[in-house]
Amino acid sequence: MTALAPDPVEEGRRPNIPSADVQLPAVANYTQVTDEILNTLKLTKAWFAGLAFSVFCLAIGGTAWMYQIYMGLGVAGYHPPVMWGVYIITFVFWVGIGHAGTLISAILYLFRAGFRTTIYRCAEAMTVFAVMTAGLFPILHLGRPWKFFWLIPYPNWRLIWPQFKSPLVWDVFAILTYLTVSATFLFIGLIPDLAVLRDRETNPVRKRIYGVLSFGWRNSDREWRHFARAYLFLAAFSTPLVLSVHSVVSFDFAMADVPGWHTTIFPPYFVAGAIFSGIGMVFTIIIPIRRWFKLKHYVTLNHLDAAAKLCLFTSLVVGCAYLTEFFIAWYSGSEVEQSYFMNRVFGQWWWAAWIMLTCNMILPMLLFSQKLRRNTTFLFTLSIFINLGMWYERFVIIVPSLSHEYEPWQWAPYAPSFVDWAILVGSFGWFSMWFLLFVKQLPVLAIAEIKEIVPPKFAHRVSRRSLDGHGETPGSVEPAEAH
Amino acid sequence: MRGIVGVFSELDSTVDAITELKKLRVGDVTVYSPTPRHELDDVLRHGPSVVRRFTLIGALVGVTFGYWIPIWVSDYWPLVVGGKPIASWVPYTIIGFEVMVLIGSLATVAGLFINARIPRITQTVGYDPRFSDGSFGIWVECRPDEQETVRRVLTEKGAEEVHGER
Repeated sequence: MTALAPDPVEEGRRPNIPSADVQLPAVANYTQVTDEILNTLKLTKAWFAGLAFSVFCLAIGGTAWMYQIYMGLGVAGYHPPVMWGVYIITFVFWVGIGHAGTLISAILYLFRAGFRTTIYRCAEAMTVFAVMTAGLFPILHLGRPWKFFWLIPYPNWRLIWPQFKSPLVWDVFAILTYLTVSATFLFIGLIPDLAVLRDRETNPVRKRIYGVLSFGWRNSDREWRHFARAYLFLAAFSTPLVLSVHSVVSFDFAMADVPGWHTTIFPPYFVAGAIFSGIGMVFTIIIPIRRWFKLKHYVTLNHLDAAAKLCLFTSLVVGCAYLTEFFIAWYSGSEVEQSYFMNRVFGQWWWAAWIMLTCNMILPMLLFSQKLRRNTTFLFTLSIFINLGMWYERFVIIVPSLSHEYEPWQWAPYAPSFVDWAILVGSFGWFSMWFLLFVKQLPVLAIAEIKEIVPPKFAHRVSRRSLDGHGETPGSVEPAEAH
Repeated sequence: MRGIVGVFSELDSTVDAITELKKLRVGDVTVYSPTPRHELDDVLRHGPSVVRRFTLIGALVGVTFGYWIPIWVSDYWPLVVGGKPIASWVPYTIIGFEVMVLIGSLATVAGLFINARIPRITQTVGYDPRFSDGSFGIWVECRPDEQETVRRVLTEKGAEEVHGER
């Protein structure tokens, strides 16, 4: 009798296969996975048009930045006391977008959530490009951006060092670590897929480039063994990192004695908001991709349904944080806090606050409906509202607080200038340019990980009944099903 | 370096062949698979990966450096504020944590590269591009007198193709 390998379908998947409980019924074998995912790399006219539009948006932002450098930061619409505006709002927005990528790629990996498998590559790339975008904004916000390197501690002839008790220095460490670790995590996960590209490529120049990028990866047992362990540890590092980064970003506000900012709820509130906004952006990206790249049988409605539940959960956490803020302001007995929160919702900034509350708290409640969770048009539309709502959340945190501090004579309006809006448009152009370049050069779905959930070919199969001792003789074999 | 390569399309046939080769103790077996499979891990019986040691050492070096640099800077350029410590461990924990994650992650990658023996200049001997697509492969590096046995085992266990390489 031949010794047979256990059948993963009948034996149940091992707990360290992160793709447990996920079925891809329309995917028959490994070669189909390779063929269909590599087919997405073919260049199309629509892709070139999208790239050209992104570069155009980036050019608008770049021109506005050059104008600001020439004219000075005053053209950015800052007027005392509102000296943080669109740049810091957009910085926090993009850092937040990045968080869902790490949640999906690292945290859900540790939790063995199977639905991550087909969406995590896009989410991870989104993280890296979002953090790259976010990292520009503190520099844009500097009056003399060429001196940003003063924030980095290194031995220098000036004999001066950064102030390590300042939240801005914490930001530098947090964002640079996050960018490095996220990019490393993305690239390490790409190595086996780059080997697939290398082996399929016929153009010698491209084959050489993929060969160098894949580090000569051969899919050997030695490589997989150490790869799996390294990937696990990178996920384990990324998990607390993602929680720390937005906590550190929230300290930029919470450390200041400003109404609406100086509160201990900020770190969890920011982290939940970041993950919520990131999942919104994942929907904005993955729904068109699954349609345009013909990947609906990989990114199935079950995956989107599960991600929508996560979106709903984080929306509930964010909603709870909003209500807690109001409660604490009332319960504190502080007139300044109470006045600030009244002004936020019914005063000068009511429209921004209600955009925030509607998009982030009220509309996501529709996700309690399973029918809507499985409707891609609805999910895409909702994701646009979430993106809008989360940008306005940061607007509501920053602008009303600064414009409505302790003394009434300090109160002032704020209106972003055309430079602010142009740089905001440029940031979307920068992000989408990198993402569009990514989707046509590298696989948007993780080939090796998807193969992990596709049953391999078996020459023989042990029946469940025979293993249980019912019916057939234990160990008897039956012909394999055709795959 | 010389040996025999067997190309398999079925996982259980690959597992059978490895089991048989291990039993016969012929050559040095390397297994290729398009994706990691527990069935192969079980039959190969490798010990735990030592990448974790690199991770631990990197993390310890990182957290030490992350605490040391702000403490050293505070002592080098003291900002004396009444009732406040010159070096305050609470904010420095943020730096310590971030540098721990950074160095620990980079050390993990170094551990992967060193133990998996990558970057590799060439992957021609014993490797076939089908192993990254849909086929499983067994490369047995062996003496010339063992080659016939290896060929027989691979063929009997269902290899689609068996050939020698050097």
